[in-house]
Amino acid sequence: MMKHTILAFLLLLAPCSFVLAKQKAPMNENRDAWEKWGPIKGLTSGGFIARLGYVIGGTTPLPLPAEIRKISTFSPEGGIGIGIDGYRMFSKRWGISLGAHFFWEGFHTRADVKNYYVWLEQEGEITKGYFTGTNVTSTDMWGVSIPLLATCRISPRWNLNFGPYMSFYFHQTFSGEVYDNDEGIGYLRENTPTGTKILMTRDNPTPYPNNFADNMIPFSAGIEVGFDWKALRHLNVFGLIDWGLTDIWDRKFEAISFRMYPIYGTIGLAYRY
Amino acid sequence: MNKATIAALALAPFFLASCIRDEKENTECDIEAISLHLDKPSDFFFHDYDTLKQVPSDADEIVFLVKSYAEIHSIPTTLRVTEDASVYIVAEDDSKTPFLNGSAVDYSDERTLHFRVVAEDKVWSRDYNVSVKHKEASDGYLSCDFESYSLDASGKYYVWEAPSAFIDETGECTWKNGNPGFKISKSSAKPMEYPTTPVAGGGPDGSACVKLETCDTGPFGKMVNMRIASGSMFDGFFDVGNALTNALKATQLGLPFAHKPDQLRVWLRYERGSVFQDRNANPVNGVVDEPDSYVVFYRNEDANGNKVQLDGSDVLTNPHIVGLGRLPHHYNADGSDQLSADPIHGVTTEWKEFVIPVEYRTELDPDILESEGYSLIIGFASSWQGGYFQGAIGSKLFIDKLQLFCE
Repeated sequence: MMKHTILAFLLLLAPCSFVLAKQKAPMNENRDAWEKWGPIKGLTSGGFIARLGYVIGGTTPLPLPAEIRKISTFSPEGGIGIGIDGYRMFSKRWGISLGAHFFWEGFHTRADVKNYYVWLEQEGEITKGYFTGTNVTSTDMWGVSIPLLATCRISPRWNLNFGPYMSFYFHQTFSGEVYDNDEGIGYLRENTPTGTKILMTRDNPTPYPNNFADNMIPFSAGIEVGFDWKALRHLNVFGLIDWGLTDIWDRKFEAISFRMYPIYGTIGLAYRY
Repeated sequence: MNKATIAALALAPFFLASCIRDEKENTECDIEAISLHLDKPSDFFFHDYDTLKQVPSDADEIVFLVKSYAEIHSIPTTLRVTEDASVYIVAEDDSKTPFLNGSAVDYSDERTLHFRVVAEDKVWSRDYNVSVKHKEASDGYLSCDFESYSLDASGKYYVWEAPSAFIDETGECTWKNGNPGFKISKSSAKPMEYPTTPVAGGGPDGSACVKLETCDTGPFGKMVNMRIASGSMFDGFFDVGNALTNALKATQLGLPFAHKPDQLRVWLRYERGSVFQDRNANPVNGVVDEPDSYVVFYRNEDANGNKVQLDGSDVLTNPHIVGLGRLPHHYNADGSDQLSADPIHGVTTEWKEFVIPVEYRTELDPDILESEGYSLIIGFASSWQGGYFQGAIGSKLFIDKLQLFCE
């Protein structure tokens, strides 16, 4: 999960750093280029950018807890982002933008865990303990992010955007199950790491309680960083990453012993006006 | 490519590698198995396999039962413990000495040795009591009125004292049942909501009796498709670790017994649950629930000297069975159980004493019998198909005044 988040981040970073490096070269772009790729009504005017993108990432503890020994599979769920930003340039280089990005994001992961605290609970029946074996988790979220960003035009065709955002979730799911790993090891130590050992196998996978998502906080806040590259007069290629800084779980919720943060990147095309 | 791109790419593996952190030190600290090294195991034990004990994860008492005339002294002992855990012997004054596998331990005077297993992380530890005790010669007559019962250590469910012949590998002398498994699947249940409970004043003479009831296992049981739990009562042990994955294997029936059972006499009463359901909780028409009560006598060692322990999957079918007595039921031509609407077990809602004679398939070998080469099961169930998670929720079998007569 982290791997992919970081990969996505690096993918975003690479072109930016390329551009930053370019910038060190003597500036010889003429004013025509700035005007050609700039806002339609002059260098200090504004406009809109309508975005459609693919969302990939994960909701992850940071750093990954030591209980997670190996991530066997990771697959995104959902992965659609659609949004609009309004922006206003105050100078040739600097401006601000405010947007609304609707998203459907999530992931499914299968990991080998050791001594991993879990709750298996439903309708008041709770089994808690420390699980060793395979842990499968799926989550997906529908919502909208409101980013308020500073935008920096580092060259006629490249913009970098960064600033805070808040996300509001309309729908959140979080499910999972546990069973034995590829070596056939799968057991829960009830209540404590020395408690009764209860075997769990893939014939009888034991699920998380189905009301886990009720303990998720319906909003989060974080930092958004992104770039826009003006490919055509009205078409941008963009990439952005929303790095959540707030725990998705209610602090009172004891079933997850660590904080988890939504970290999702979006890559896509945008119509610029 | 410029420097920054190269730097970003060069950093990537570092980021990826740093994702999975170093493994934490182990917190587990079990004795998984314990063995005694004897030049002539037969001086001590009835079976060679008795020198090695697999220790259930929830046990902290380990008792080796030896022949009544064995002279107990220092015996080299080997423990198999959780990886990287360390073992100490703890003295009376709480001082601890590291224990080296294979070193001799003085078990004389049936004293109890205290072992402490400390996990690799040095935070978690478990204490075990290990002893070697003489097994008292048992009588050829067992009886139990189920008057002596108490809550278990967790305070969740009741346990009953059993005849002294039913002493188990942890030194306990109790009847076993599925209550420990029910605790996992329905942890919120009160002691009186368990499948096996006492009924004070419920017996035929106004004393206490035992009630076995077929219960709904709740949402957790539904998830693992074990929707009902038949009330049960037997001698042996219950392997709670297997309760969720393989409930039939979890029920380990039978303990060594040196007399030839002739007949079981027991008082029974039955209240049948109204709807017989199959494994998927679908009602089955034209079928009613039936109680079960049986005596099984079986050879507890195979031709290669391995231990034979019957479990819920083969308690009535294992080829090592030499003698069997059971409440009457209908059977198909191939010998399998036949569900029916007109059972012939004869147990009604009124108390009645039943005599269940044991029928033998082969002659018993008196030497094997004397050296505890056969094991005895006395078992009861509120739903005779409970092992297949079929039965009627609410079926109740009441038991009292059990007597086993031997030849």
